[in-house]
Amino acid sequence: MAAANRTVFKRLAIFNHKGGVGKTLLTYNIAASLSNLGYRTLLVDADPQCNLTSYIVEESVVDDLLNTSDNPSGRTIWTAVKPIVEATGELNYVEPYELSVRSMYLLPGDIRLAEFESDLDESWSDSVRRRIRGFRGTMSLSTLVREIATRHKIDYVFYDLGPNIGPLNRVMLLDCDFFVIPAACDLFSVRALKTLGHTLAGWMDDWRMIAKLAPDDIDLLRGAPQFAGYIAQRFRTYGGHVAKEHAKFLRQIDQHIRSDVVSVVPTISARLAGGGKTPFRIGLIKDLGSLVTPALEQGVPIWDVSAGSPDQREEARAAFSALAKRVVARTT
Amino acid sequence: MPGVAYEQLKAREKKTVDKLVRHFDENREFFSTLLRQLVEALRAQSELRGLVHSFRSRVKESDHLREKLARKTIAARSSDAPLDITTDNLFTKITDLAGCRILHLYTKQFGDINRCLQSVFEEEKYEKLEGPSARTWDDETREYFESIKVDTVKSKSLYTSVHYVIAPNKRTPCTCEVQVRTLAEEIWGEVNHAINYPHLADSVACREQIAVLARVTSSCSRLVDAIFTSHNHNRTADKQ
Repeated sequence: MAAANRTVFKRLAIFNHKGGVGKTLLTYNIAASLSNLGYRTLLVDADPQCNLTSYIVEESVVDDLLNTSDNPSGRTIWTAVKPIVEATGELNYVEPYELSVRSMYLLPGDIRLAEFESDLDESWSDSVRRRIRGFRGTMSLSTLVREIATRHKIDYVFYDLGPNIGPLNRVMLLDCDFFVIPAACDLFSVRALKTLGHTLAGWMDDWRMIAKLAPDDIDLLRGAPQFAGYIAQRFRTYGGHVAKEHAKFLRQIDQHIRSDVVSVVPTISARLAGGGKTPFRIGLIKDLGSLVTPALEQGVPIWDVSAGSPDQREEARAAFSALAKRVVARTT
Repeated sequence: MPGVAYEQLKAREKKTVDKLVRHFDENREFFSTLLRQLVEALRAQSELRGLVHSFRSRVKESDHLREKLARKTIAARSSDAPLDITTDNLFTKITDLAGCRILHLYTKQFGDINRCLQSVFEEEKYEKLEGPSARTWDDETREYFESIKVDTVKSKSLYTSVHYVIAPNKRTPCTCEVQVRTLAEEIWGEVNHAINYPHLADSVACREQIAVLARVTSSCSRLVDAIFTSHNHNRTADKQ
């Protein structure tokens, strides 16, 4: 059953543990582009900071969601896992929030998810020790997402994760079929790639051992997210060319993706083998400048903001649409 | 250190054996994790803890595996067959790459120990592939095992122990051997192992004395059985 569902929908994370690289903005806009292309998408806000939820849901609604999430009829990710954290019962199914963008859903985040994270660390240790209760905790969000995705016939699930390499991100990333690395044109973004590659490779190694020794008839994380490429962004252009300073970072990002991710992580998407000078680059998103803040304020895709010029918006729409198509190509 | 049997192999056979040993060495961490998980699950069972003196566990020494494979290669030669072990089936053909030993005081505890072990295997979802099967040479001990419906195997080498072979699941080809024996049997086992493993000792005196030691340690197990039988009998009588 679990294996069959796997083939129906794909789980992705646009992840870098370096903060401020535009994970949330990219996640939402790529997912919205996919919806425009006719795919059904589910966004899972698995960051206790709830940036994604506050980006796309009105403040008063977010407030309401967080106020009521402790009730069994609540609507956030915390509502689902609360019985597990408090050891009072099984995972609580939560109906996702339907967004204004067509066939797009959100499993809202919750600041209280942080309480689940310390539990998850224990569940992981228990899984390492092959204790059955450990697998139950480790698998809980994966199980919930599978249930939602199946009921709503989802094609793509996006996990929006916080900027860290903690226990929650470990299980979420290991649950993914694919991951995409967003990198900004700055020194720290480049340096972060080393930690990212090694951490992911280590997690996959650990999980492989856990899975090999796990009892039969237990749901397991996929455990081998494939690298589907990187997105370089926030560079400036002058007269149609990448500014010199940023061109240097773009080269460095590409080099470090090869040395610190591609050569370290054992699972590279077969779709990346194609030619070209930068086969690992899914796309470039230049500095979106004046569109970003209004998009965050208005909670709409970046090409739908009431700001900037029509040309700017059309350029952004086309860039994300192209990106979404490449994501589809690399995850098929 | 290359052993006696290994030195008798042809270059091609040595290459095959070396490849198998290397494959095992590359997976040593896996076997020690398997053992750690199992021993922890066994230790967590409180009734079993009360019956057991101590748990021992070990991942097989590479040199011992090399000699074992060399002996099997030589044995296969006599029937004109090549060694039927490959890297694909090594972990299931050799069932004691990971081994856990449970030591207890006297033979008659085994019925309860068996019940506890079976319940741990079931609750923790381990696959039981073989056992319990009791190696024994003593008639009285064999009768005891038969009385509690445990299979027995005659042991010409005087080796005694009850064996199980288990696996963590059906999909991963690997096994772990669990042995249960009394402390007195452990004395014989350890002395015999030190003198005769991996090569049988040449000395007649040593072989003879080890054979006598088996009688002594068997009597010792029997004596502890008797002590506890009378001790438990007295306690029951006091209660009444």
